Amino acid sequence: MVTLELNQPGKTVLMMGDEAIARGAIEAGVDFCASYPGTPATEIPESLARVADRFNIYAEWSTNEIVAFEAATAASLAGLRAIVAMKQNGVNVCADFLMTVNLAGTNGGLVLVAADDPSAISSSNEQDSRSYARYADLPLLEPADFQEAKDMTKWAFEVSEKLGLPCILRSVTRLSHSRGNVKLGELPEKKRAAKFEGVYISGAFVAAQHAALHQKLEQAREIFEGSRFNFYVGPKKAKFVIVTSGSGWLYSREAVAALGLEGKVGILKMGTTWPLPEKFVVDHLKNVTEILIVEEVDPFLEQNIKILLAEQAKTLGPIEVYGAKSGHLPAYGEMNQDKVTAALASIKGLQPKTRDEKYIEKSREAITCIPLRMPTFCTGCPHRASLWVIKSALKLDGRDGFVTGDIGCYSLGAGPAGYFQLKTIHCMGAGIGLANGFGKLDKFGFNQPVIAVCGDSTFYHAAIPALINARVNNSNVLMVVLDNGGTAMTGFQPHPGSGFDACGRPAPTVEIENICKAIGVEVRVRDPFEVSQAVQDIYDMLQENGPRVMVFRRRCFRIEAKEKLQEKYYVDQTKCIGDDCGCARFCSRVFNCPGIIWDQEAQKAKIDEVVCTGCGVCATLCPRGAIMVRGAAS
Amino acid sequence: MEAGKSSSDLEQEVFSQDLCTSCGACVNICPYIKVVKDKVAVIEPCGLTEGKCYDFCPRTLTDIAALDRSVFGKTRTDYSLGPYISIEMAQAKDSEVRCRAQYGGVVSALIKYALDTGEISNAVLTRPFDVALMPSSVLAEESSQSLECAGSNYISSATLAKMNEATKQGKDSLGLVGIPCQVMALRKMQSSKHETRAKGVKLVIGLFCTWALSYKGFSEFLREKVDLSKVRRIDIPPPPANIMVVETAAGDARFSLDEVRKFIKPTCGVCYDMTSEFADISVGMVEGIEDWNTLIVRTPAGRKFIDKAKKAGVINAKPLEQTRLEHLKQASSIKKKRAVDAIQKRTNDKKNLLYLRLSAQEKKKYV
Repeated sequence: MVTLELNQPGKTVLMMGDEAIARGAIEAGVDFCASYPGTPATEIPESLARVADRFNIYAEWSTNEIVAFEAATAASLAGLRAIVAMKQNGVNVCADFLMTVNLAGTNGGLVLVAADDPSAISSSNEQDSRSYARYADLPLLEPADFQEAKDMTKWAFEVSEKLGLPCILRSVTRLSHSRGNVKLGELPEKKRAAKFEGVYISGAFVAAQHAALHQKLEQAREIFEGSRFNFYVGPKKAKFVIVTSGSGWLYSREAVAALGLEGKVGILKMGTTWPLPEKFVVDHLKNVTEILIVEEVDPFLEQNIKILLAEQAKTLGPIEVYGAKSGHLPAYGEMNQDKVTAALASIKGLQPKTRDEKYIEKSREAITCIPLRMPTFCTGCPHRASLWVIKSALKLDGRDGFVTGDIGCYSLGAGPAGYFQLKTIHCMGAGIGLANGFGKLDKFGFNQPVIAVCGDSTFYHAAIPALINARVNNSNVLMVVLDNGGTAMTGFQPHPGSGFDACGRPAPTVEIENICKAIGVEVRVRDPFEVSQAVQDIYDMLQENGPRVMVFRRRCFRIEAKEKLQEKYYVDQTKCIGDDCGCARFCSRVFNCPGIIWDQEAQKAKIDEVVCTGCGVCATLCPRGAIMVRGAAS
Repeated sequence: MEAGKSSSDLEQEVFSQDLCTSCGACVNICPYIKVVKDKVAVIEPCGLTEGKCYDFCPRTLTDIAALDRSVFGKTRTDYSLGPYISIEMAQAKDSEVRCRAQYGGVVSALIKYALDTGEISNAVLTRPFDVALMPSSVLAEESSQSLECAGSNYISSATLAKMNEATKQGKDSLGLVGIPCQVMALRKMQSSKHETRAKGVKLVIGLFCTWALSYKGFSEFLREKVDLSKVRRIDIPPPPANIMVVETAAGDARFSLDEVRKFIKPTCGVCYDMTSEFADISVGMVEGIEDWNTLIVRTPAGRKFIDKAKKAGVINAKPLEQTRLEHLKQASSIKKKRAVDAIQKRTNDKKNLLYLRLSAQEKKKYV
């Protein structure tokens, strides 16, 4: 992270996309950063928090994205520069504020980084957040490489300040999380003092505000017309031009080179995609007869360009447009060079050269050597025990109870790792929200018990209003908070219960059980590793009516194992009787922790000591008591 | 006994048919079958095609004559009460024991004596009113624990699950007090071809039982009437009273038995055994006499033990009058007949008796 602080303008360094964005913010003199973790943009606030003292930045992990955005907006209203970073789902959480702050306006530069996760590599949905810019009439920038990630971020603050509007900077996972060369700029001397003045109200004279917003957007278009982030490369009078933005830029260049089309195909690279700098685009499409539009996820640029082509039909004449609508490129999933090459080759009637004629065949063969691995919980993960407990209690209850899920590591509970317990997964907080509704269906003959699971971080983020709703409407729901002591899935960032802040300093805590008590619901706290007691508790709670909360509290073992030496477990193979046991390999097959393996030679269970974190839950479940602590007397 | 049946079959034929007695025979022999309160469930099918769980269950195929041969070395001639050596009336000599017990205190006194004399090393018992009415199974090591387990609350606990836990720890020379379904399951375990340590149970005292109540239904019902934590004794006085009396620290509550009957476990309706016919010794009430028990001695081991207990002055005994014996036989026969009728109603087939395999003579009497 030293590179973030380097005061050597002109020096080229290797940077992760998120670090480049953070550096851009630093070069813009950013004062305030708020965010919610677990996104392709997580390293932006983490980077800024690390240098918070050095550059006098305030950095926080907020309870959720809308709170982060509102807090950052406050800094802007006080004349400071602020950045807020999130993924596509976070933008949805912000939407309500976004659709009013656009009308009320901002003061100091305010940048919203929307880092989309195409292909939903680590998300519950795939979404193109660029539509929000068009929807909310806000300026949109799309960096295409690491240098632009830094430079455009710095510029975004200026654009925002000029317009008095938040500026949206769209990244994607591949840009945020890969690394490339970045030439550093100057570090500014920060002089801003916070002072609030003026009135920022959305709701008075809304129609007039909306009209003024459209004028600001025209102003943005003017600024974008001269932006150096929009440019053309290729032959002077190309008839075929690729129009691209964001990650599509590098893929397009590679595709053109791969097909040897450098002399025939031009690339119009757009860095400012909303509002479109129409003059700039029209100027570069004169004499062009075919265009291919390359972008990631939705046909956002494609639709805007098509509208422009229709408006400019007299000037430009007929132009054939290839892209998502024509079926040449998908409007879903991550973009890559192969997809662009295939599209270009198909339009041009070329045969793309593959690396090796037998490449596909060879790779298929290689795949058969890879052992089949299902996504699973880490060894020692408390969620495995929690979901086994929930499964057991629901089975004992026998009324076809089910679990409404939520977003977190425990989403894996929908698969074999969590014994297929989660039956619904949507957005954060939706588990308890849905359970709320299920819990009120008794008058329609519904008698299945409903358990809503929710992580600790999710509890603070999005679950509390639904729990209050369950309380006041007396909904029959059991909420199980899987409290592993932090926002574990995303790198263990702190949450309101953690006791430390984004910069690692001690912070006050807000206890989950105290919130539950204040709401007036029955709450119990239990260690899910005490499996049999926990099963009894959940079973008992399932027999009760109204809203109830069980907090399964056990720290994420990845963190626990780092902090202190764990006990070493082993299978005493004189006690394990293998297939004679009658347990049918419960430990390695059903409980299915990756730390327990089947010893083919001995035909008995065995602990993989490299993987085992020593949680000891399997030892309590083995019917022979064959799993032992190393060094302990048997 | 029937080959090739698994936990999935057990689930299908017993649990999902509401036939589970919660005896606990299938619990704690594998990681898949668990019990909470009086609910037993297969958490996950183990995948094996043949399971001890299925074979041990008192509601899977049970050949009465075969079990007779296995336990008594011969088949029964009395089709109402099963094999027995003697039937008499008895009571604990110690009045304190009598006072704490449901009736004559014979069971508590015998267990206390067996533990004191080393006849058995541990006893698997049921402590009533443990937590909010739910009884708990305990492994008693000391004779003083026997009195804590006196009395009944008409809810069954998974006694055999506790026994399985104890035998797994290597405990043998155990005594066990159980209701008829538990005793039947224990004998099925002991005569099974499967590896089991149930043979470590040396003394089986069976209780008379007409039915047990489901915990959930009954506790919710009773919670409306009394403070469950204060319940000390539950009794059903002999007919024609038709009431249940719940004694609590804050006074007694009485209500009609008809209110309670709806909580009777459905499986009790198909139960063929009122007097724990496969026990070493069976003990129950004597209708109309509060502080005496009916004592049925069934096995030679039971006979030997009772003789010693009498000699040691632990219990008093006297003959059971003929009319009372006839009355007992009649009551037991009624239960058998009702069970057969209920089974036929379930199967809708006069020849399909579900789990029961009866001898020709028994069939003649009850089918």
